[in-house]
Amino acid sequence: MTTAAGAWRERLAGYAFVGPFLAVYAAVLVVPLIMGLYISLNNADLFGRREWVGLANYVQAMGDPVLHQALGNTLVLALLIVPPLTAIALMLALALNRPGRLAAVLRGVFFSSLVLSVTIVTLIWRFILVPDAGLIAEGLEALGRPPIPFLSDPDLVIPAIAVTTLWWSLGFPIMLLLAGLQQVPGDIYEAAALDGASRWTVLRRITLPAIRRTLLLVVMLQTAAQLQIFGQAQLLTGGGPGGASRTIVLYIFEVSFGRWELGYATAIAELLFGMILTLTLLQYWLVTRHEEPRP
Amino acid sequence: MNAPGSSASRLSPLATVLLLIGAAIMLAPMLWTLLLSFKSNAALMADSGAALSPPWTLENYAAILQGSLTMQWLVNSLIVATGATVGVLVLSSLAGYGFARLEFPFRRTLFVVVLLGLAVPEQAVILPRHQLFAWAGLHNSYPGLILPSLTGSFGVFFMTQYFRALPKELDEAALLDGASRFTLFWKVLLPLTIPAQATLGVFTFLAAWNDYWWPLISATTSDYFTLTVGLASAQMNYAQTSGLGFLMAQAVFASIPILIVYIAFQKQIVRAMAGAAVR
Amino acid sequence: MRKRALAFGFAALLLAGCQPADERPEIVVQRFFGECGAAYGTSTDIAAADSECGILTTLINRFAAENPDIRVKVNVVAWPGYPQLAAQIAAGDPPDLVTMHQSVIADYSGRGLIEPVEPLLAQGGIDPAGFTPAALAGVEKEGRLYAMPWDTIGRLFHINTALMAEAGLMQGGKPVLPSSPEELLAHARQFKARTGKPYLIQAQVSAPDFHVALLYTYLLARGETIFPDDRHIRLDTPEAREIVSVFRQLNAEGLTTLNQDFPAATAAFTQGRGGIFPVGTWMLGPYEAEAGRAGSALAGNYAVAPFPRLWGEEAAFVDGHAWVVPAARRSPQERAAMARFLAFLARYNYDWARTGQLPAFAEVVDTPAFRALPHRADIAALARTGRQLPGYVERQSAVQGLIGEELEAAITGAKPVETALRDAQRRVNRLYAQML
Repeated sequence: MTTAAGAWRERLAGYAFVGPFLAVYAAVLVVPLIMGLYISLNNADLFGRREWVGLANYVQAMGDPVLHQALGNTLVLALLIVPPLTAIALMLALALNRPGRLAAVLRGVFFSSLVLSVTIVTLIWRFILVPDAGLIAEGLEALGRPPIPFLSDPDLVIPAIAVTTLWWSLGFPIMLLLAGLQQVPGDIYEAAALDGASRWTVLRRITLPAIRRTLLLVVMLQTAAQLQIFGQAQLLTGGGPGGASRTIVLYIFEVSFGRWELGYATAIAELLFGMILTLTLLQYWLVTRHEEPRP
Repeated sequence: MNAPGSSASRLSPLATVLLLIGAAIMLAPMLWTLLLSFKSNAALMADSGAALSPPWTLENYAAILQGSLTMQWLVNSLIVATGATVGVLVLSSLAGYGFARLEFPFRRTLFVVVLLGLAVPEQAVILPRHQLFAWAGLHNSYPGLILPSLTGSFGVFFMTQYFRALPKELDEAALLDGASRFTLFWKVLLPLTIPAQATLGVFTFLAAWNDYWWPLISATTSDYFTLTVGLASAQMNYAQTSGLGFLMAQAVFASIPILIVYIAFQKQIVRAMAGAAVR
Repeated sequence: MRKRALAFGFAALLLAGCQPADERPEIVVQRFFGECGAAYGTSTDIAAADSECGILTTLINRFAAENPDIRVKVNVVAWPGYPQLAAQIAAGDPPDLVTMHQSVIADYSGRGLIEPVEPLLAQGGIDPAGFTPAALAGVEKEGRLYAMPWDTIGRLFHINTALMAEAGLMQGGKPVLPSSPEELLAHARQFKARTGKPYLIQAQVSAPDFHVALLYTYLLARGETIFPDDRHIRLDTPEAREIVSVFRQLNAEGLTTLNQDFPAATAAFTQGRGGIFPVGTWMLGPYEAEAGRAGSALAGNYAVAPFPRLWGEEAAFVDGHAWVVPAARRSPQERAAMARFLAFLARYNYDWARTGQLPAFAEVVDTPAFRALPHRADIAALARTGRQLPGYVERQSAVQGLIGEELEAAITGAKPVETALRDAQRRVNRLYAQML
């Protein structure tokens, strides 16, 4: 079928289809990214002042103890969130992937927390976590125990932010996994049922491999997202105490809007970009290296 | 006959109980937000436990609705979120089909370049983008608010995956019949991607609706505020103590359109499930 | 012939229907303080208005009504509005008049992003000699005036007099406040022993400005130079260590509330769970209203006083709101309109002072009407003793964040006092070294 003219037409069609997106992508993402890279090589303020310093911002970042602390915090947060989030979302997606009223209502319930903005989520969870008449504190008091300062104890602030984020973020992975599950053809399940396979075997041998790519997508997206946590840290704990819950993006925000050091802030942002890229590519490679190459 | 992919077995009682407990944990804080929104600011300043007992009032919602610009902000958010959703669905579907089904030079490279976008943190681009838009005169305008949402790589990735999973036989059949690629795309394949469109649409709408930082620094005149920015501007700076009821009412008010969108799209997904059995 | 007449008639009608472009000068006024259109809409009754939002809204409404030849566009932004302002200036499209904290002015004036206002003040007939000393200090940078001061925000001891009486710390109907650090500890211990509640209510979580206000106040009271020049801070001093140690001691002995953020501390004071809440003039209005509510723990038991003199002389670290003018090209008509707006605001400074902040104009402080407002006589001195940091100190907000973080560690006992102060000094000096 593929004649020379046909191939040429296919090429043209290809560019025509991906062109519109790529044009917007280039203009509104790639260009600013490159501008940002340039700015990161300068000592810059928010108002256009630039002073070339080469890699000085990056060198400073390497030696910045506050950034190191923020890096540690961010990585721990991502570790505390992504695996449980994926596991819980998977379980919920499997349980809710069925017809019927109850399942539909429950899907809505688990999606609903996503609807709220970060301001309200942190407001709600502050009320739950705060030792002064907070929900958990009241419960502890009823049990005769002292309140736990979740938002001011350096060892508890990161788990507190993790739980808040888990509650908030369930909806998106569940949706993605549901979409993935529904792409699995039903006849595979019929065949397994005919063979008398147990539920657990079905899950392990059939379902999970079938939604492997969706699971990978969920993990990669959540990793990228949770490495960028900002609002929860800013609004729940202010990054404290003593920077124990300061995340990288919160630090970038403080440096850019608080200290007006745009060059340094952008350098840190580029480093963050590099880190997210590396981690997500690593995840991609680990999962797909055994697969046959896609056509 | 069950829809493809859904579980045929029933849930065990234990699983059901756990699900319901989980649902309660999800819902309880939001119900509480709702209750708080029906109390006056003064009552809550004295005692935040007051939410659970009468009297309740609609004064916070009245204050929102009577705010001079609230409706304008709501309209702005609707325009921006709808524009972003339509834009993303169109661009991502077109690009998704192109990447999934067509051969052209640098296809792989371009796809990787698009994927890299998933890793770009907003902070790396938001201020340079602000500069660029200032030069282009795009601030305080709807295009200025919508364009950044259209660069989302996730949509393209998602749609590419979806198109890839559609059987090639459909392509071959249509092309043999003499259909153009666009007709193949538009008439044959696109309708099969409705579940993906619904999912992508809901999340794009949500992300655009709740976006705060870009609208904050791009739309700086109050008649171009989106709802999130506008509601934030309406609060006093110690709103958590003396304006709690109002704050919560704002949260509920801002959530209603999204819940409507979700419920509307939910039906689409379910309908598509039941009908689109592609074997 | 008739057709042509008709056409001409049509054209004439169209031209006549074309409104001449609105020739009135437009001023864009940008402010925070929230939005209260529901309650105040287009009301121009300033005297009946309440709260910062209400008073400012009615003020601007009244100005627009009394000056129909000026178009006033109001932009309400979320507090504190600085990310937007920076973005607007960067985009080359700033508003004409903006509310700004006096402590932030130096950042913008030092870079020429806002203009000196002497010409506008002169045009509006406002004499800078009429500002209070605290207000004048807040807007004068390097010999020029960069804003019209609007008020002075001070820190106060908000006092629950019923609990103080129970602790034996009232005399002649007035609270007895310590006059030395030893007395402070003694009073605090006595308070706790007799009432079982903490002497102080403090916001120590996510609230760096509280600790910093205490430190700055007492360093200024002792005549210490905190910022010897615009690129350095001096915190690693015996005086600073002494001050921080006293507050660390209060924490250690449980004489203050712990683990509270600002909303929790505010609520705690409202509910009578402690004796004294060191917070600012901005809570005067809400607490006064609460004290008027029957059944409240503060009903009839509410008093305020400036921070007690514990070291050195009477001093208070203050800030204030002010109106600044972002640098831009403006027509003479616009400038005249802006001058009229400033003059109008100046005339109603007493009404603004009803919010609890102190007036920026000295004559208002002395009026019987102001003195008659609840508690004002007790705090009027702040307009005189209020001190700000030297005019060349920039990035005060970022510096406060850094120092506050270290002070929090020192006061809660997470870090030794010397280490915390040394770290704070090092981090602030590093910040200044990076500045362009």
